Amino acid sequence: MLKKQDGKVYDLKAAKELYKEYLERAKIKKDIILPPNTVKIDDLNRKETLNRLYKLVDDVLEKIYKSGRPSVELPSRSATNIIWDEENDLILLGKQIMEKQFHTLTSVADITRLMRVLEVVNELLNEDIHATKREVFYSDVNLFQEQKNSDKSIEDVASMLHTTRNSTHVVAAPKGTCVGRLRIRDRSDIIDLEGLGSGGWTISPMLDNIDIIESDAEFILVIEKDAAMMRLAEARFWRKYPCILLTAQGVGNVAVRMFLKRLSKELDLPVFSLVDSDPYGHYIHSVYLRGSKRLSYESPFLATPNIKLLGVLTRDLDEYKIPQEVRIKMNKRDEKRTKDLLNEDFVKKNKAWEIDLKLALKLKIKAEIQAFASHGFKFLTDRYLPEKLTTGDWI
Amino acid sequence: MDIKIFRLKNGGVVQLADKEKMQEWPIELPLLFIEYIKNKQLDSYGSAKKEVEKYLDEILEEVAIPRLISVLKGVDNEEIVLALTRIEEISKKNAEMAKPISKYLDELLKRNNKQIVKLAKSISDNFAKAERKKELAKKRKIMRDKEKLFLEGKINGEEYAKARKEYLTLKE
Repeated sequence: MLKKQDGKVYDLKAAKELYKEYLERAKIKKDIILPPNTVKIDDLNRKETLNRLYKLVDDVLEKIYKSGRPSVELPSRSATNIIWDEENDLILLGKQIMEKQFHTLTSVADITRLMRVLEVVNELLNEDIHATKREVFYSDVNLFQEQKNSDKSIEDVASMLHTTRNSTHVVAAPKGTCVGRLRIRDRSDIIDLEGLGSGGWTISPMLDNIDIIESDAEFILVIEKDAAMMRLAEARFWRKYPCILLTAQGVGNVAVRMFLKRLSKELDLPVFSLVDSDPYGHYIHSVYLRGSKRLSYESPFLATPNIKLLGVLTRDLDEYKIPQEVRIKMNKRDEKRTKDLLNEDFVKKNKAWEIDLKLALKLKIKAEIQAFASHGFKFLTDRYLPEKLTTGDWI
Repeated sequence: MDIKIFRLKNGGVVQLADKEKMQEWPIELPLLFIEYIKNKQLDSYGSAKKEVEKYLDEILEEVAIPRLISVLKGVDNEEIVLALTRIEEISKKNAEMAKPISKYLDELLKRNNKQIVKLAKSISDNFAKAERKKELAKKRKIMRDKEKLFLEGKINGEEYAKARKEYLTLKE
């Protein structure tokens, strides 16, 4: 099973050139200008969020005094109000407004939950503490009934305040991990992400406490799966090739995507993704690339539009002679998902991506990252990744 | 700008937090940052080492010390205790780093707060210990030189004995 690799050190020429290009571009860094028909969201500090919250409550009170029929307005998150901004390659929220009235029977439960979440957010901000979405649900189980209701109200509150969910101090449970050539601070503690063993640092959802303090990495690699992350961490991949490794064990949650966005924006590093060669892997890449539809109002803070799909591409399977026995036949669901992806505007605009997905659909095959183990456990770290980063074979 | 970039001759790049950003950090953190980079990272920076050292000095002078001093000269005892606790830790490991606050210690020792006085005293002791250590190293070097000269017959026994006595007195 163990096959010896040639021990060659690759110069990662293409990845380094991309980094150089990003650093040059950073000198004339411009802020993202959103299209006029989209909602602008701000990442706020505690005080600013509290101010917006108080203003919102004041407006409601004023409506009570004036008309006795209060209501709140928030951007609609329906499919018709989700816009793909081609210029910035982001999924954004349009300007359709939804009004929730306090006095109608249909919206009474909804509005009560919304006000309860506002109360929770006020408490969190005043105490300068954070709570997970699950904790918010448990703060009033009778009212929320199911977590999906409290989750929806949390997102409504963030969009109503025109801010990110993290700014409201309601955070996702920690999920992803990060390791490599990076030093950060978490409040007053300095954390060295090279010195935390193979497990790495669990990405804190309390990102307002985190600052990047030092890095000599030359690229970031986002890995879909824990198993592949383990392989790279065990090989101490970042020592041979200066990089930061990050995994979210599947689709990146808000904390992981926001942290990746900050790494890529502040350090101007090229970002590559390593996902399974299947429609779900490509979907995961797309969520990092341009955001998810559900959290479209936060996309500018969550999406990493310059992320490159390093692999595993369908064309890699033949290129790297992946044996037929480790390739998996696509099922009907995979085929449907691939077709759905091919219908997305951001795929249609990216010819190389479209070609690879079409090839997968034609061959009706998929493969996991682990398929490379058929060439030896070190094939991924010693040949596949460095070779692709050297030749620039990405989408 | 949140990051300061240093380019290495071999094509590598080192990126460090920008000093402006450090104004928002907890007051003791810029000092810890300097200490961390000097002790753990600086040697790996190759051709950018000198430039980074200069930048760290700038942080010390423009951010770390002024911010600490503004707290130490203030009236918020809780904040002073917090700052002194971290300074005390730093002074134990690297007294030179915390030295710029030495001129404020006398005033802190007179404060009507047991914790502040205790921490200020401990920092002062750490400075004295470090000073003694430095002095001892200097004397040790002199003594070794004299020892060499004495063995070569270039100085007499009396001169050598004098250097040895000075060293041993300080050591005790």
